[in-house]
Amino acid sequence: MNQQQPNRRDFLRHNAMGFGGLALASLLQDDLRANPAKPLERPASFDMKPKPTAFAPQAKAMISLFMHGGPSHVDLTDPKPELQRLDGTDYTGDVHYSFVNRASKRLLGSPWKFTKCGESGMELSELLPYTQKIADDICLIRSMQTGHNGHEVSIRYFHGGIPAVLGRPTLGAWLTYALGSETQNLPAYMVLVDPGGHPVDGVNNWTNGFMPPLFQGTVLRAQEPRILNLDPPPHLKGKLQAHNLDLLRTLNENHLEKHPGEADLEARIASYELAARMQIEATDALDISGETAATKTMYGLDEPETREYGTRCLIARRLIERGVRFVQLFLANQPWDNHSNLRGGLSAIAKRTDRPAAALVTDLKQRGLLDSTIVHWGGEIGRLPVSEGEGDACGRDHNGQGFSVWLAGGGIKPGFIYGETDEVGHKAVVDVVTPNDYQATLFHQFGLHHEEVRYLHNGQEQQITAGRPARVVHDILT
Amino acid sequence: MPFRLPLYCALLVAWLPGLASTNSASADDLTFERDIRPIFRAHCFDCHGATDKVEGGLDLRLVHFQTTGGDSGAAIIAGQPDESLLLHRVASGEMPPGKEKVSAEELATLRQWIAQGAQTARPEPEEIPPGLGITPEERDWWSFQPIERPETPTVHEPSQVRTPIDAFVLAKLQQNNLTFSPEADRRTLIRRAYFDLLGLPPTTEQIEAFAGDPDPQAWEKLIDTLLESPHYGERWGRHWLDVAGYADSEGMTQDDRVRPDAYKYRDYVIRSFNADKPFDEFITEQLAGDELVPQPHANLTPEQIEKLIATGFLRMAADGTAGGVDQEMARNQVMGDTLKIVTTSLLGMTVGCAECHDHRYDPIPQKDYFAIRAVFEPALDWKAWKNPVQRRVSLYTDEDRAKAAEIEAEAAVVVQEKNAKQTVYMAEALEKELEKHPEELREQLRTASQTIAGERTPEQNQLLAERPSVNITPGVLYQYNQAAADDLKQFDKRIAEIRAKKPPEEFVRALSEPPGHLPETKLFHRGDYRQPQATIPPGDLQVASPEDQSAQIPVNNPELPTSGRRLAYAKHLTSGKHPLVARVLVNRFWMHHFGQGFVGTPGDFGRLGQLPTHPKLLNWLAAEFMENGWSLKQFHRQVMTSTVYRQSSRRRPEQDAIDSDNQLLARMPVRRLEGEILRDHVLAVTGTLQREILGPPIPVAQDDTGQVTVENNTPRRSIYIQQRRSQPVSLLTTFDAPIMETNCEKRTSSTVAGQALLLMNNTFITQQSQHLANRVFEVAASTEAPELPADLLARLARPRPDWSYGYGNFDEEAQRVEQFTPFETFDTETARWQGGSTLPSDETGWAMLMAHGGHTGQNPGFAVIRRWTATHAGNVSLSGTLQHGSEPGDGVRGRIVSSRQGVLGEWVAHNSQLETNVETFAVLPDETIDLVTDCRENVNADSFQWKVSLTHATETGSRTYDSAAEFAGPQDSLPPLANTIVPAWRLAFGRIPEPEEIQLAARFLATQLMLLQTAQDAEGKAFPPAARQRQALTNLCQQLLASNEFLYVD
Repeated sequence: MNQQQPNRRDFLRHNAMGFGGLALASLLQDDLRANPAKPLERPASFDMKPKPTAFAPQAKAMISLFMHGGPSHVDLTDPKPELQRLDGTDYTGDVHYSFVNRASKRLLGSPWKFTKCGESGMELSELLPYTQKIADDICLIRSMQTGHNGHEVSIRYFHGGIPAVLGRPTLGAWLTYALGSETQNLPAYMVLVDPGGHPVDGVNNWTNGFMPPLFQGTVLRAQEPRILNLDPPPHLKGKLQAHNLDLLRTLNENHLEKHPGEADLEARIASYELAARMQIEATDALDISGETAATKTMYGLDEPETREYGTRCLIARRLIERGVRFVQLFLANQPWDNHSNLRGGLSAIAKRTDRPAAALVTDLKQRGLLDSTIVHWGGEIGRLPVSEGEGDACGRDHNGQGFSVWLAGGGIKPGFIYGETDEVGHKAVVDVVTPNDYQATLFHQFGLHHEEVRYLHNGQEQQITAGRPARVVHDILT
Repeated sequence: MPFRLPLYCALLVAWLPGLASTNSASADDLTFERDIRPIFRAHCFDCHGATDKVEGGLDLRLVHFQTTGGDSGAAIIAGQPDESLLLHRVASGEMPPGKEKVSAEELATLRQWIAQGAQTARPEPEEIPPGLGITPEERDWWSFQPIERPETPTVHEPSQVRTPIDAFVLAKLQQNNLTFSPEADRRTLIRRAYFDLLGLPPTTEQIEAFAGDPDPQAWEKLIDTLLESPHYGERWGRHWLDVAGYADSEGMTQDDRVRPDAYKYRDYVIRSFNADKPFDEFITEQLAGDELVPQPHANLTPEQIEKLIATGFLRMAADGTAGGVDQEMARNQVMGDTLKIVTTSLLGMTVGCAECHDHRYDPIPQKDYFAIRAVFEPALDWKAWKNPVQRRVSLYTDEDRAKAAEIEAEAAVVVQEKNAKQTVYMAEALEKELEKHPEELREQLRTASQTIAGERTPEQNQLLAERPSVNITPGVLYQYNQAAADDLKQFDKRIAEIRAKKPPEEFVRALSEPPGHLPETKLFHRGDYRQPQATIPPGDLQVASPEDQSAQIPVNNPELPTSGRRLAYAKHLTSGKHPLVARVLVNRFWMHHFGQGFVGTPGDFGRLGQLPTHPKLLNWLAAEFMENGWSLKQFHRQVMTSTVYRQSSRRRPEQDAIDSDNQLLARMPVRRLEGEILRDHVLAVTGTLQREILGPPIPVAQDDTGQVTVENNTPRRSIYIQQRRSQPVSLLTTFDAPIMETNCEKRTSSTVAGQALLLMNNTFITQQSQHLANRVFEVAASTEAPELPADLLARLARPRPDWSYGYGNFDEEAQRVEQFTPFETFDTETARWQGGSTLPSDETGWAMLMAHGGHTGQNPGFAVIRRWTATHAGNVSLSGTLQHGSEPGDGVRGRIVSSRQGVLGEWVAHNSQLETNVETFAVLPDETIDLVTDCRENVNADSFQWKVSLTHATETGSRTYDSAAEFAGPQDSLPPLANTIVPAWRLAFGRIPEPEEIQLAARFLATQLMLLQTAQDAEGKAFPPAARQRQALTNLCQQLLASNEFLYVD
């Protein structure tokens, strides 16, 4: 499905509704020209109105809990008895290390116990006691593979579809481009960042790439006020500001008439309209004071370790409830990058995120929202079965060959495990899933063909998967 | 395609997204070096050639190694692709391991090459040294070719060609059936030039002078004028500060320590740009300024100080070495970041990728990275590190130091004098105090008290603890003898005054290489400083010089006290022969003029970067730049006088269809102002901008909403705002100003709702809108009203006050106020309106009105009248209390009278208090409601109090007027709002508004006045009439400042 080429009637209707007045003028010029040039294939303007899907969608929204750094699947989600048995012995297979200087071939069994959970019997680590309780609601993919050990390389693969390459729109940008938004009162694509700062690769994590800025993720600040300048000064509140904005829109539309086709000018007009609506809707969405004590406790707002991440998970739910299409939560830097002190570091970050993440799934389910909302939990890579460094302070190096992510809701099979890594957890060997497969599958759940959502950039038709091999993983779908 | 890439590049870029690709139809046989090696480099060499140990014994670097093969036998058999193991392994996906596979086209190329006999371009050596080396094919990459001035192309319509630049651009346009856009009008051009060169708007007068200048050289003159402006250096210096990674703090650690002297480097940059310092000199000073100044760095001349400040460039990297836990790591990180700044700003290559291993895509061996590091190591030696405090260079001269010592000696005399006096005072005080204590203890107490605190015996301490009043110290002397203490204070003051005469000690943040320091630079295995290997001599990228003429950077220059490496390196970079430096610089300059460079990745001219859109023009400009003495101002003149630069920015469908990103330059882009320039623009039009240049940074602080703001809103240009890495100014970063981690090679320009919210609600913008409104009112006072419909003009007329005060006669017959004469005198001392300057006045007697009431005139014909006038139609109701407080006389009569409806109520109060309420009734615009008070028959004792509350409900809301609270003397008289429209447009946009815009603004202002009638100000109070005018105009001004016309430049 290409972003639809507007026909003339659409153009006129569009004009009547607001920006893009000059599209009409250029259209008329086209009619008058004896030898019209090649028609413009890119839409003259972009918007966030809901767009039709190619087929009936299972999911309408997505919350992605991105776990920067590479969560250690062999300690969290992928128990390996053989690894436990061979603990301390040298691995005989090939390992691709990132930090060769500290590398060893000594296999490191997980210091944590795994338990069979729920009716599905999914085995999860004691580091994830709350995720254990939602085992029957999630689909665990144990065979993710990027083929690259580097963080940025794999992060960009997950977000933009090609390993290492910058400048491409992210998943959130693609989805909002293809689907528009269910709400015109909030940004369709929102990013909740960590109070500790930006994740590795910074703003590239939510870039619009070569698409118009309309499709860029809108960042909610980690501290109050989460959106700066959200409240008008008291003396402008209400009718006065509405009247001010009326004038501003007219000024900008007149200006746009002199600058036909300037997407950025149109986007700015839209940004004012969005801002005005956000003042009302976002204030409400971000106010969690009305949530019950039980809900707050469920998300861990009563505990210092989980309060911050829990609050963001709760806000994510409130945003989805209000029609936001894509919400992504990030952690500062890359807390799952446990090269050393695996025992301390991994426990701490698991503790911080486990309860809120599980609460989000449970809460969505209670509210009947899980059916139409996909929750994603996972990082860009996993970690090696061998140890990095020595003794108690040892950790694990990068592993892009095999690792886990989980998905829940939106027509994804609950209580299901897909794929396998080898006997020690190094490489995905059964039912390998790449980030491109992941993207194709998500698109499918949103009612889209990943190869048919296209964006014309400098004469080339671009897709989320960039024409690379990608399959919809039908086995994990209900 | 006019610019022919070597075939091998074309193949390589084919799989890189977003890059142009070519389908070469070359019939030549494939060769290993040109066609196959790049595939192996990207996919195979990591395990089969790059390192000493190869997997499976297979080394793929030479074809004869491949035919010999590894543990599994021959990898290829020439002429027999189907029998070649390598092809099988690759085709089956077994090799390379991992997700990234060899593409189908690459596989086909491999097959074809083997089928054709696995040919090489030239005979292969038997053996080669370890590593990948650099092949001639890799040297063929466009950006490594010598810079040669190409022929200026010929074009069809030479009339459009003003400069050679135009010929290059037009030739390419014509190949694509495009032409230049028409020239922009003069108003657009001057605005473009001002923002481009100064980052400030032209005034209306400047615009009009230029628009009307009949001189055919008007444009050239304008550019020359702007290049002479001191603000030019602020604008273009900022561009350089981006790549230099300028910051006023160290970063890295939580406390993000401030760099108090960093701004001197910023000022150096501004001065250098203003002086058009040749760029070769500018680069040399920044890389090696200290090596140009004789050692030791003492008694420096201003020129020498300038050169030392210039090395601040090499001190810009974030630096955690002041208190880092891991010093070695922190120091190596500073070195790595410094190299990144140097290489991305000057070489435009991702040299940093070669820190850990040979570059995967570009021919940069790891050794090259460390060769460049060796250039800087004598000055930035991680094993002999200067922390941020130690590296400051004092600017004290010997003379300063001697002068300071002299002054200190002078102070010492007074200090001695003071000490002597203090001893006497203390002894006196002690003796006096001792008298209060038993005689037998006095001797002991005296000794204890006079013994220094730390040296007292336990007994003495015990004694003093029991009798603390004996323990007299200089600090408490005042409690015993105030006069003595005061006397001593006079000494302190004198001492301070003397010391203040010392010359102030200034520092610069410089890189100053210690003499005779020649540390060895080691190649770090995998980039890990804990694994040093071979010693690497200083050098440049090998590919940047022809194979047989590698850069000569001596390990030590015996003629200099320092190693001389950086000086030699700077000379090498600026020799005019370096293929990258001038290209990288002019590409970046072009990017600042046009929003995008020829190479879209200004910090990466390698294979992962973008290819140049106009390679010949880039070469031509680079050659010109060097031939013109590396003069940037000359570059500006060349570019800005071209037809390319003077084009209109309007999009044309035929161009959009082919080139919507405007890579071919068939128009000027429409560009949003950068964050700093947006702020500067606002300050400039509101008239608050302080235009002085240079100086210490304006501190920033976080306000209670979490926004980082400029201290005291100091209205200096944004380049002077302190740039703390941890506290970027919200206003600027919201509009994409970089947050410095290392440096910023290219800014982004986003459009997000947060920017809209800022322009709607942020205090900076609302305050600046007020400033602009004030400025507009000033101009409007001498401006005529524009042509507008009469009703609109009337609505915008100078507003009548809500309340007016006067006297008159109530006509009993007509039941109306017969006439209303406003009081002319307001006595500020007593806060009352009255009939004359003194009371009683001859004509009106005691008639006067004050907040709560007043006094009637001398007969019923001189009733005092408090008048309220309706601005809009609506419903009115009143409530109030009329009070008369004395027994003598016959009291007063109060009437409430409508101009349209007559008497609405009548009351008489005589030593009594009455409710004066009127039920709701309708009013029309301009209807007056008078509170008329007269003396009845008897004129004595007619003082009264009458407070009324009047509620007016209109279609926009309801407002209650309080006769007492809103009582006021004469109001400011602002010009009518109609007269403000033209000045507002002129000040904000530098142009006269169109008639439709005048109408639009007039209607806006009229509606605002109505809305403000029932609105509340920032303190929650109703707006008085003049404040409504002011706020309406402020709101208009805010929308102008927030509009796209203000934010974008055509």
